[in-house]
Amino acid sequence: MAMMPKRVKHRKSQRGRMKGNASRCNYVAFGEYGLQVLENSWITGRHIEAGRVAATHFLHREGKVYIRIFPHKPVSSKPLETRMGKGKGEPDFWVARVRAGQVCFEIGGVEEDVAKQALVRVAHKMPVRCRFVRRRHTV
Amino acid sequence: MDKTFVLKAEVRDNTGSKHTAKVRAAGRIPAIIYGHKQAPSAVSLDAHNFNVGLHHGHRLIDVQLGRKKETTLVKALQYDHLGRDIIHVDLMRVDASETVKIAVPIELKGTAQGTHEGGIIEEHVDSLEVECLVSDIPETIVVSMKDVAVGDAVHAGDVELPEGVKLASAPDLLLVTCHLVAAAKTTEELEEEMPSAPEVIGETEKADEDQGGGEKE
Repeated sequence: MAMMPKRVKHRKSQRGRMKGNASRCNYVAFGEYGLQVLENSWITGRHIEAGRVAATHFLHREGKVYIRIFPHKPVSSKPLETRMGKGKGEPDFWVARVRAGQVCFEIGGVEEDVAKQALVRVAHKMPVRCRFVRRRHTV
Repeated sequence: MDKTFVLKAEVRDNTGSKHTAKVRAAGRIPAIIYGHKQAPSAVSLDAHNFNVGLHHGHRLIDVQLGRKKETTLVKALQYDHLGRDIIHVDLMRVDASETVKIAVPIELKGTAQGTHEGGIIEEHVDSLEVECLVSDIPETIVVSMKDVAVGDAVHAGDVELPEGVKLASAPDLLLVTCHLVAAAKTTEELEEEMPSAPEVIGETEKADEDQGGGEKE
């Protein structure tokens, strides 16, 4: 079972549409290096878990991995060979809505080249184009 | 740090998002100059020259506005959504003899003792707020990591500041910790913690009420 919320207000949600770019969570805040999403997309709980496993496996108990996105949105689907109608399908999986610029993973406590290699592995698990970013120091 | 850096600025007569977009397209950065109880003035700076100055650690900028020259301090920077380009600069008018409160980046120096024992260094804050003369603003504040063992923490009060620089942040502000990394949870362990389906707020209360009502009847 992939990541999902423990409690929700509504079991199902409409699909919605995403406009614009990330105006917050668009900088490295916790670690020293991060992975920034370059496209608007849905990232499922399974993608996030796959990324987490890839990073922790590569780092083997060195450094710390921060996950900055969470799948809050339920996506429903209808079972196979079912006729259309009869109401909305049941929740199938959960997604995080990310906009271009959002930092989704961060790593701290390791050298830059190690963090880069770990985040490249995470980027391969993501359904969107990503780029490696460093923490931006204050002026 | 070489103290000041001279930049030519142009006054922006038209403000608003459409006009600032044109300014940016022309290779300039929109900026505002304020302070000293004077009227704020909207200006634009050459993007390349400003970036070069910033990368060389300049904080104080002498803005040349026609024949007028104003000493300013870079107070805030706004970046685009990807953090690549600077889209706006706030410049505050200052005098060299003035005392200002300013955030100065922290530089961790040396290898912590704890890293040899398997610990990692976690930087909680990347800048310290200090109070000093405009002419004495340090480029960075060096925090020595040599004696930091596993389980140790460095607070703002522990940092040695250069002469003439006073701490403005709370002395108990946590800067850096050294700790062992807990083993990451496996997918199976996480699955055990996760519910099979989320609890719906309101539905459980409704069900309880229904049950309670049934008992009364």
